[in-house]
Amino acid sequence: MNQLALLVALPLITAFLLPVVNRVSTLAARWLGPLVLLVTSAIGISLWSQLGDSAVAVELGGFRPPLGITLYADRLALLFALATSIGTLLLWPSRGEEWLRQSTLALILAASGSGLALSGDLFNIYVFYELVAVVSYGLIAARSSAGSFAATVRYLIVSSFGAALALTGIALVYQATGTLNLAQLSQLAPTHLNNLQGLAAFVLMLIGFGVKAELFPVNTWVPEVYATAPTRVSGLLAGVVSKLALLIIVRLLVLVFNQPEALTVMLVLGMLGVVTGELAAWRARDFNRMIAYSSIGQLGIMFIAFSIPGQAGVFAGLAVALHHLVVKPAMFLLAGRWQGSLDRLAGAARTSPLGAVLFILLALSLIGVPPLPGFWAKLLVMVNLMAQENTLYSVGAWVIMGGAALEANYLFRVASSFYHRSEQQTPPVAHRTRDLATASLLGAGLVAGAVLIMPLADEIEGVASQAANRDQYVQTVNPEALP
Amino acid sequence: MQRLSSALFLLGLGLLIAAIFRGMEFGTVAPIVGQAINSAAAEQVGAANFVTAVVLGYRGFDTLLELTILFTAATAGGMVLGKRSPTAKRDPDAGFILQAGADLLFPLLVIVGLYIILHGHLTPGGGFQGGVILASAFFVPILARPGTRMSHTAVSTIEGLAGASFIFIGLLAMFGGEAFLTPLMGQGELGALLSAGSLPVLYLAVGLKVGSELAGLLAQLSESEAVD
Repeated sequence: MNQLALLVALPLITAFLLPVVNRVSTLAARWLGPLVLLVTSAIGISLWSQLGDSAVAVELGGFRPPLGITLYADRLALLFALATSIGTLLLWPSRGEEWLRQSTLALILAASGSGLALSGDLFNIYVFYELVAVVSYGLIAARSSAGSFAATVRYLIVSSFGAALALTGIALVYQATGTLNLAQLSQLAPTHLNNLQGLAAFVLMLIGFGVKAELFPVNTWVPEVYATAPTRVSGLLAGVVSKLALLIIVRLLVLVFNQPEALTVMLVLGMLGVVTGELAAWRARDFNRMIAYSSIGQLGIMFIAFSIPGQAGVFAGLAVALHHLVVKPAMFLLAGRWQGSLDRLAGAARTSPLGAVLFILLALSLIGVPPLPGFWAKLLVMVNLMAQENTLYSVGAWVIMGGAALEANYLFRVASSFYHRSEQQTPPVAHRTRDLATASLLGAGLVAGAVLIMPLADEIEGVASQAANRDQYVQTVNPEALP
Repeated sequence: MQRLSSALFLLGLGLLIAAIFRGMEFGTVAPIVGQAINSAAAEQVGAANFVTAVVLGYRGFDTLLELTILFTAATAGGMVLGKRSPTAKRDPDAGFILQAGADLLFPLLVIVGLYIILHGHLTPGGGFQGGVILASAFFVPILARPGTRMSHTAVSTIEGLAGASFIFIGLLAMFGGEAFLTPLMGQGELGALLSAGSLPVLYLAVGLKVGSELAGLLAQLSESEAVD
């Protein structure tokens, strides 16, 4: 189980060595990155099969927690570490002038994303989060246009502000408890953090980590960044990185901040996210911006789902998150040749028939049309929301319904324009084969998910019940009690 | 709309800070981990400088990530920084005094930098601080003679190998069945130059990486063309 650290260490050492390898052989440098990600994915899959219902903790440096840093892997953490490796592999940066630097950054993103999922120490999580942030600045600016620089600077400011808030929250927690180990925090939380200071710390961390999870109101960077960054990077950020930030928040909720007020804050911010995101997407006149805003709405649904108390909330939220993880990168891949004004898309089905069909499939699932997985995920959220006694949760359910109606409206408007012949203008050029192939792969995964929905749901429920199991986390890490 | 949401946001933040001030007792920290490290570090890690024991021992993984953040920022910066056109004008060389001073400073700065790196486990200092001094040793000559070029090949090779050796030392522990980044080679006598096991080696890697990274970035900044 020691191999857990390899998921971080292998991509990092490769990233450090890539410029040196490139001096010896360009061919080797081109293939080394994807190869290492294949290896880490394989390690992840083998760990997954060994893990079963148990969980495992690794004490880095051989120091017992809480003095040393712990890596903790249950199936949830491993799932997202795997998603990072495989996602980065699928969305590997295309060959351009700066391919070497971009490959280096992509490897670091894979390492830091896996680490973010696996880390069991609050400050270590913060450092990983900063690393993910710095990598994304580089990747977004890779296109080197004035627009992408402006978007990066805006993102940098919002993200640094968020990081400062998160760090303040962590400092508050440390002040109150004297430890940073999540398992020990979980033990101390009922006596030390179940008060106003604890709630304030949670809200600071929610907003701080929420920057990457596109949480309202710290999501102002989203439309500009996704409209100007390379589409593969947008797909990675919206698909994978946003879920990692969400994962941290869920871990904090389950382990440390088990307070009803914390859930209410998340529910309200999630609802605001759905309303503002879907309305903005409805009004958007640019393809990338439209899917960027729709992603804000989808993340809002996840925040609402995770705010349902207990295992049911983790299950529902995880289902929506995994669905979005597959759908959104595929949409961004299609945006590679369709970016710009929506009016340009008239007749796009003629030049790219497969792309148009794929987009409609993804859109149907995003809206929640049966029998696609998106429907089951949304149904699960709605059923659990309605089962809650607090009326605020039923409001959340109605907000999601309204959002879905808006989504249907704007996504169908786009889809129908694909088949609309316009005599005045030429339709956009066909997609690059590699983009279309990756998007088709993700689409095929979606269809497979629809066919195998029952075993899939059982599996996700198992992951969720393990993630909601606080005692298992504490017992596996087993921090030393200190005076 | 934007003003309204900003105002709401500020209001919320203000309330949060007020809540914190109301609930927090100033001057009382629960230093569970801090005290435990103070009493255990000499025995567990063997570094006379406890800060180093934390930076490379207990939280060595964090330090690896800090190194990576620096590396990432330098990589991303290199992507964004402008390139120089061959015809662009350069600043003229500095006068005799500055040039002679730079030549004199170079060996001193290298020695001080290496001293601070190699004594990081004994006295305040270490790889990050010493690395910055090393970087300045190589950058001062460029300030004195703007025409000279730093060898990018050498800089990025040292940078890559130093970073990789930090991780490699961590992986070596894994080959021996220990966890990643476990200190190796015993602890030695507390306070001796050769003590604290592999920690000084790690600090040397940190120093070389930080030094070459910063020197490379400064050199690239000085080479990129100024926009008038």
